[in-house]
Amino acid sequence: MKNKVRALRTERNLAQGQLAEAMGVSRQTINSIENDRYTPSLPLAIALARYFGVTVEEMFDDQGS
Amino acid sequence: MIKGRSQQITRSKWFVPLFSVAMGLVILAASWIGGHPRAGAFSLALMTGFALLVLLAGRSETIRGLRGDGRDERFAQIDLRATAVAGQVLILTLIAGWLTQIAGGHTGRPYDWLLAIGGVGYLLAVPLFRWRG
Repeated sequence: MKNKVRALRTERNLAQGQLAEAMGVSRQTINSIENDRYTPSLPLAIALARYFGVTVEEMFDDQGS
Repeated sequence: MIKGRSQQITRSKWFVPLFSVAMGLVILAASWIGGHPRAGAFSLALMTGFALLVLLAGRSETIRGLRGDGRDERFAQIDLRATAVAGQVLILTLIAGWLTQIAGGHTGRPYDWLLAIGGVGYLLAVPLFRWRG
């Protein structure tokens, strides 16, 4: 699923590892989400959206998948 | 954050190595009782070798996921899919063995029983997971 995780992360000068640590997942999971290879669970999607202060709809685009 | 939930998925990195060694000891005991202590010792050495490999094999995601300390929701999905593939391979192997046995004029044992157990297990699991939502 298309998403803005990479854009929001780099906007805040965060490394993938730092975001992964904050979310309690592996760096590879963040990388897979950013490259549209893995669609996160609803709890992780909500956690990511809350972390960046956006809505889930703003972060993930189900039309572009 | 989902850290608490993720930590529930994560296991200690000692889990798989210790489980492997424990299984090796159980195999050794069973082989010893069966009169084949050397075969049991060989199995224990194999299981201990696997335990050391998993414990000391560095920080690749695959090894950490297998070991347990690198598990998160994505690896749990990978684990689930890999388990399903392994199950399908096993069932296909059992079917091939069963048909080979029948074609050879044998009863099909123990493949028929193993296939029946697999089938019943699946038929029980479907309503259980449906009920749990």
